[in-house]
Amino acid sequence: MIELLKYKNITMEKGDKVWEVFLQKKAGLSFKHVGSVHAYDKKMAIQNARDLYTRRSEGREIWVVETEHIVSVPLGQADAYFDPSDDKPYRHASFYEIPEGVENI
Amino acid sequence: MGILIKNKEAQFLIRLTDTEIILGQRLAEMCSNGPFLEEDIAMSNLSLDLFGRGEELLKIISTIEGGEFSADDYAYRRNEREYYNIKLVEQPNEDFAWVMAKQYLHDVYMERIYTQLLESNNAEVSGLAEKVLKEIQYSLTHSKDWILRLGIGTNESNSRLQVAMNHLWKYVQELFLFDDLDNEFLVDTESITKDWNSEIESTFKEANLKVPENVHYDIRDYRKGFHSEHLGLILATMQFLPRAYPDAKW
Repeated sequence: MIELLKYKNITMEKGDKVWEVFLQKKAGLSFKHVGSVHAYDKKMAIQNARDLYTRRSEGREIWVVETEHIVSVPLGQADAYFDPSDDKPYRHASFYEIPEGVENI
Repeated sequence: MGILIKNKEAQFLIRLTDTEIILGQRLAEMCSNGPFLEEDIAMSNLSLDLFGRGEELLKIISTIEGGEFSADDYAYRRNEREYYNIKLVEQPNEDFAWVMAKQYLHDVYMERIYTQLLESNNAEVSGLAEKVLKEIQYSLTHSKDWILRLGIGTNESNSRLQVAMNHLWKYVQELFLFDDLDNEFLVDTESITKDWNSEIESTFKEANLKVPENVHYDIRDYRKGFHSEHLGLILATMQFLPRAYPDAKW
């Protein structure tokens, strides 16, 4: 359980949590998952992520998300979720012929 | 070894340099001793920033002094009385509260100093100040956060931080005993004192800490090379290798 420490106008959270860290290398590029950090609250999480993952110019922006807020496929259900697509190659765009003169596809 | 620094600007800059190097060495002691892994790395990063800053300053000093001594000579071949760091940064890391208390008091001070150095006539110094300010602003965010966290965290964390501040306070006064040299190379030393005090006052209030009383101590000035008993031990650790193996390369 998360308890809030309140003193005047400051709110900080108590209790260690795990946060997932995403980095964006340059504006416009997508964010990539790089790892996780321990922190008590958002402020500490973003600072810890900065100190652990951006020392060598790896990024210009960071996202941190509490790990427990990330929804993932239930353990043991991966087969049910993903196997059905294994034998359906027609779902790939490889059957599509690229029209002449089109570059950059 | 008797490394004399003759130029006035170099004499002024060595004060900043030594303060950063000694704080860097103290923070390096926290490597593998942090309260948790992330903070351990954060403190090591801050330490590296401080050494980087110290090296840049020493290069500037070496150039001003005509290149007689290298940056390494200045760092590794001067004795206690030839070091000019503020005594605050040589105080021991009794616990994590001491580490952050020193860091915070230092960061607030240096933020003001480097802001004024932006206006230095020496382009190398003003250029460095611009770069360094970004590092210090981050360090200040980090150390101030910890002051608030420890201050309003639990009774235990609050009292440990208060104890640290009470002990460190006697080394704070000399920061503001600016001499002619300081006044020559800083734009407005009076405003440094004023800004420092008002920042400290408001943060202490927010963190539920008491600003310790300003008792007058007869402590000899770091500007003349005087130190507490801790500096000798710090230098012994820091300088051992290059002094024992003068030809070592790294």
